[in-house]
Amino acid sequence: MRKLIKDIFFLTRRSLVSTFRNPFTYITNFATSLFFLFVYSAGLSGIVMLPVFEGVNYLSFILPVVIVSSAIGAAAGGGQNLVDDLENGFFSRLILTPISRFAILAGPLLTGMIQLIFQVLLLVLIAVLMGLEITLSGFLMILALSMGLGFAFTTYSAAIALWTKNAGSVQLGTMVFFPLLFMSSTFVPLEMIESSWLRVVAMINPTTYVFEAMRAVLIPGWGVNYLYNGVLIGVMVTLILAGLLLIKAREIFNG
Amino acid sequence: MNEPTLEVFGLKKNFPGSIHAVKGVSFEVKKGEFFSILGPNGAGKSTTIKMLTTLIKPTGGNAKIMGFCLKKQAREIRKIVGVSLQTAAIDPGLTGTELVILQSRLFGFSNKMARKRADELIHLVGLEKDAKRPCGTYSGGMQRRLDLALSLVHRPKILFLDEPTAGLDPAGRARLWREIQKLKNEMRTTIVMTTQYLEEADKMSDRICIINGGEIVSMGTPEALKGSCALHKLQISFSSKRDCLKAKKALAEEFPIFQEKLLNMEILTKDTREKLPKILRSLSGLGVFPQDISASSPSLDDVFLQLVSKSKERIKKGGRSNAKAN
Repeated sequence: MRKLIKDIFFLTRRSLVSTFRNPFTYITNFATSLFFLFVYSAGLSGIVMLPVFEGVNYLSFILPVVIVSSAIGAAAGGGQNLVDDLENGFFSRLILTPISRFAILAGPLLTGMIQLIFQVLLLVLIAVLMGLEITLSGFLMILALSMGLGFAFTTYSAAIALWTKNAGSVQLGTMVFFPLLFMSSTFVPLEMIESSWLRVVAMINPTTYVFEAMRAVLIPGWGVNYLYNGVLIGVMVTLILAGLLLIKAREIFNG
Repeated sequence: MNEPTLEVFGLKKNFPGSIHAVKGVSFEVKKGEFFSILGPNGAGKSTTIKMLTTLIKPTGGNAKIMGFCLKKQAREIRKIVGVSLQTAAIDPGLTGTELVILQSRLFGFSNKMARKRADELIHLVGLEKDAKRPCGTYSGGMQRRLDLALSLVHRPKILFLDEPTAGLDPAGRARLWREIQKLKNEMRTTIVMTTQYLEEADKMSDRICIINGGEIVSMGTPEALKGSCALHKLQISFSSKRDCLKAKKALAEEFPIFQEKLLNMEILTKDTREKLPKILRSLSGLGVFPQDISASSPSLDDVFLQLVSKSKERIKKGGRSNAKAN
């Protein structure tokens, strides 16, 4: 067990060092999130005048979108780390060591999660500078929610990586980012979505529940039961994806 | 030198779509031996190595490595084999030293021991000057050398090298050869290497196994294999069929004649420089003058052709046909 934790530590550190030396991936992702934060809060904040918002701070409403977009990006980075290992053959070298197979997967994926934590932390800090009000427990709740979503997404992209062993496919797989992020209660509350098909899609989309759960934390009086739904759905989706990943991983490790 | 380090019994691999990559190979490698698997692209060399190092599962057959069963004790086997695959398996973001330290730590070395091992191995493969920069910036040859260092971290009992010099320039190739030579001579490591290059296999193997189409065509010491297949091809053409037949009759006693057409013939010989004057002398003694003579070193394909035709010939004659030249 101690050896397992040590191996996970070595491989995560190695993945972090390698990622840190190639900053383009995470800088792009973080810059996109920052861009969303500034542009949405500057351009759309007027709609809080609508009665349905009951005068909430639009920054609190839109911040979950920015955090989720950043979290998905970082989590996709975890899958990308894994596919890089598969493509340059380092994965084979690791498979040929007597370490736990779990550690080989955990290293690159944890790196994605660590990136995620830093990005969420930075985004919340910037939002606080822009006037957001948040309690420590509220922040921890948001962090936990984005980590849950990130974990689901990282297992999803890792499963694609193991299945296809191809960087292009992993990138194509992350395209699901757009429907996940935007076919949801992204800019306005669920009941204000105009077309009924989009409302249906938004209700199926698990991201909606993550948005709403984060809003329940950030906005006093926002439906609290959303929080429970968000956590529940997040856990379910994650379990399904992690199961798929493990099945494929077993297959690969067994040759 | 007696107990086998590696025993392979009828190892087979079929890939989906019924591609029979390896059709059942059996061989034995003794302790401290340098064993080469020689064959053209697609012969099944890499597939064999991948099976023996637990990277892919064999469809049939089995192997024993230091007494461990390939099918049942993959984990034990990973602890005692070292592998350098066809493309260097490295993380381009890490420096040479970092990678060797990481590899050592994963094999259970303490931090201090891992650093010591990294110094030793970086020195062994001659990467001292470049050990501190990310290995993504290394040349192909340097990457292969680093890969070799990584495969040696745990002092493997048996080292597998899959086409170690493929894609390297002549200088890089010579350099890598020096390092492998060192392993062989100083550490007495048992080595199994695949290659497409005859001269490479010839240079240091104790034994060579030639495979083609997933099957072993021939196996033996380099001397024995060279004895059974000529290395240079002399093509002689004549102006008439009569001359050609005459020449063939006179030369057949001394040389194996590999292929003959109406007006030309091919003689396979180990040493063109020595044999050519002899041939010309005996031809002019007959009053036969060749129209054209060309000499070439054969490609690996030729070696295969020769081996196959040789073995058929041997069966026919019931013995070895050509004397060892030199």
